[in-house]
Amino acid sequence: MEKTGADILLETLAKEGVEVIFGYPGTNSLPILDRISDSPIDHYLVRHEQAAAHAADGYARATGKVGVCLSTSGPGATNMVTGIATAYMDSTPLVALTAQVTTDLLGSDAFQETDIIGITMPITKHSFLVNRVEKLESTLEEALEIARSGRPGPVLVDLPIDVITERCQSTGKKKSALAQKKTANRKEITAKVREISRHLNEAERPIIMIGGGIKLADACIPVSELIEQGQLPFVTTMMGIGSVHSPNGFNLGFIGTHGSELANRAVHQADFILAVGTRFSDRSTSKIEQFAPLATIAQIDIDPTSIGKNIKSDIALVADISEAVNELIPLVKKKKRSQWLERIERERSNIEGKHLSNGFGQVAKFIRKVQEIMGEDAIAVADVGLNQIWTLHSWRSNTPRGLLTSGGMGTMGFSLPAAMGAKIGSPDREVVAFSGDGGFFMNIQELATVSYYNLPVKIIVFNNGHLGMIRQYQDLFYNARFNACELGDKVDIKAVARGFGIPAEKVSLDNSVAGIEKMRRAQGPYLLEVTVDPNNYVFPIIPPGGSNMEMIYGRQK
Amino acid sequence: MEDEIHVISMLVRNRSGVLSRVAGVFGRLGYNIESLCVAEMTNPKISRITLVSRANADFTEKIKKQLDRLVDVVEVTELTQRHSIQKEMMLLGIYMNSENREEIMQAIAMFGCKIVSIRQNYCIIENVGNRGETETILAYFEPMGIEELARTGMIALQQHKNGNDDEQ
Ligand SMILES: Cc1ncc(C[n+]2csc(CCOP(=O)(O)OP(=O)(O)O)c2C)c(N)n1
Repeated sequence: MEKTGADILLETLAKEGVEVIFGYPGTNSLPILDRISDSPIDHYLVRHEQAAAHAADGYARATGKVGVCLSTSGPGATNMVTGIATAYMDSTPLVALTAQVTTDLLGSDAFQETDIIGITMPITKHSFLVNRVEKLESTLEEALEIARSGRPGPVLVDLPIDVITERCQSTGKKKSALAQKKTANRKEITAKVREISRHLNEAERPIIMIGGGIKLADACIPVSELIEQGQLPFVTTMMGIGSVHSPNGFNLGFIGTHGSELANRAVHQADFILAVGTRFSDRSTSKIEQFAPLATIAQIDIDPTSIGKNIKSDIALVADISEAVNELIPLVKKKKRSQWLERIERERSNIEGKHLSNGFGQVAKFIRKVQEIMGEDAIAVADVGLNQIWTLHSWRSNTPRGLLTSGGMGTMGFSLPAAMGAKIGSPDREVVAFSGDGGFFMNIQELATVSYYNLPVKIIVFNNGHLGMIRQYQDLFYNARFNACELGDKVDIKAVARGFGIPAEKVSLDNSVAGIEKMRRAQGPYLLEVTVDPNNYVFPIIPPGGSNMEMIYGRQK
Repeated sequence: MEDEIHVISMLVRNRSGVLSRVAGVFGRLGYNIESLCVAEMTNPKISRITLVSRANADFTEKIKKQLDRLVDVVEVTELTQRHSIQKEMMLLGIYMNSENREEIMQAIAMFGCKIVSIRQNYCIIENVGNRGETETILAYFEPMGIEELARTGMIALQQHKNGNDDEQ
């Protein structure tokens, strides 16, 4: 039977398991939207295309499924760019569909024509321009497969309107297998795994370093087993937070610029580090020459470009993490490691309490209260700035996919739209979006989406009247010369939320419990504005250019 | 580390956009491509790209990984001079006159080049050779006044299919 490109598109997506699309229309995407009500796929109309990409990203991060967003050509497509880049930096499986002018107009500077393939080339894993309706089905299958396979990432599919309106015989062809990238072969895996196990067994001060890759590879369980088997203390990167839950206190926190002192100190002392699913980003390592100076480093990753990119690893294994770790577990001896663990405990008690002396403790207590009231398996979505670091340190994410954050890109305005996507993807879990006032303003229009669909997303805005993290940097590293960091106190955020039709309350940090409880009881969305002192910073922090051992706890003299 | 010549040979899927993706990797990292040669294989779905660039070894390693990450890149290998046959073809246009005629004819005989066209007194000389030969010939002809020059850029094949044996 002959079908239009639009029907082929929607049927293929549905067949591949796509349930929702986040989008915003334009005349060039109308032929697709015209058919969407007849398809099993739900379309959520956001209020800005950037939010469509972030929502699809949040959906994917919360569920592990591919997120899909759709925009019109030209400005619609360019508005998605920040969202696509955010997904790329954190390896989120995403398919961005962009409408395009008709194929005969390509290259003619037609109305709303833009070379979105060219624009997004460096921020997509791959992209396709579909120039014939006959290729549509196989291209979409391939796009979805590329997005979710190997090291996942965003794939863009540009859809000229004539391809969407044309008809063709649905091929119904079986999909051809995508050529997989080369990973290590069995023999190599076995040899490398042996070598790693030998190091782990011989090391006196081993550390496992966990990146975002283990969530993506569904390797949380094997890695947890490895940790328990070997009695191995571990640190995570920002993206690895929440991947492994250790009942035995092996979790030392996340490393890097804003990381925990304990984690940074442990890495510094380690004699062997096994890194899984991380690229050793500069955020994690800080000054690279002084990162883990005593350690032999072994690395397991599916993506060869992540290996040796920033740190030269002594042992490198390109392989599926689950496969490699499962093979490693039985080779790792169960060791007491009392000396090393005691040393870590001593560090821990020396460090504890340092946080609390600088106002951070109050925020941390508030965030923990939120989690306690909202439920342990609630999903927190952090924005960027002080609020992000507060959330990452305080939210106890005991479940994988329990804490979502824009780690690689640090995109302000991520949390609200990503929380919408997360909620739609996991309706049974509470979803709490945290942000500062600055980041909140960046995608504030999405309150309208939340309100329209009555999405039960809980929104917490830390209002310090400033771009808090910018203020902290200016305070600490620019002699307290404050420029372009004040937002002021003229905006009544609570009233704004209510104006969007979202119930809201304003609370202070030390008197928040009633507010949080009210938020919990709300059937639909709810916004809690929390006033915070602009001098309430994040500590410890590593000064720009410093090493992970140069954490500072306050203003430098 | 010293910059040196690196020859990278790739099999890629023969699809639109693949060349700009490959070139993009170099552009983004701020590196120049010295020569580039692309053609279909016997299986027309696959093309070989042979690419020469000047960079240090660390950087080349990084570039190879970035190239390998591209979805349409099937295989990336670096070819060393010792273990591969490397050739390029060049066409060199030169005006012959009574003064340089003798010298040109001698050079052609000496280097084993071919004259492939003579129109009036403008002749085109063809040479196939490795990089060193090509450069030597160019340097030799330079003072005689090269009018126009076209080079294919290098193509190369590994001599022993199972890798550069002593590098393993
Ligand atoms: C889109 C974007 N623009 C600029 C920045 C740089 N930036 C990082 S943190 C920050 C301040 C964030 O302020 P706010 O959202 O109020 O949160 P706070 O730090 O006060 O918690 C800025 C401007 C960014 N990360 N993203």
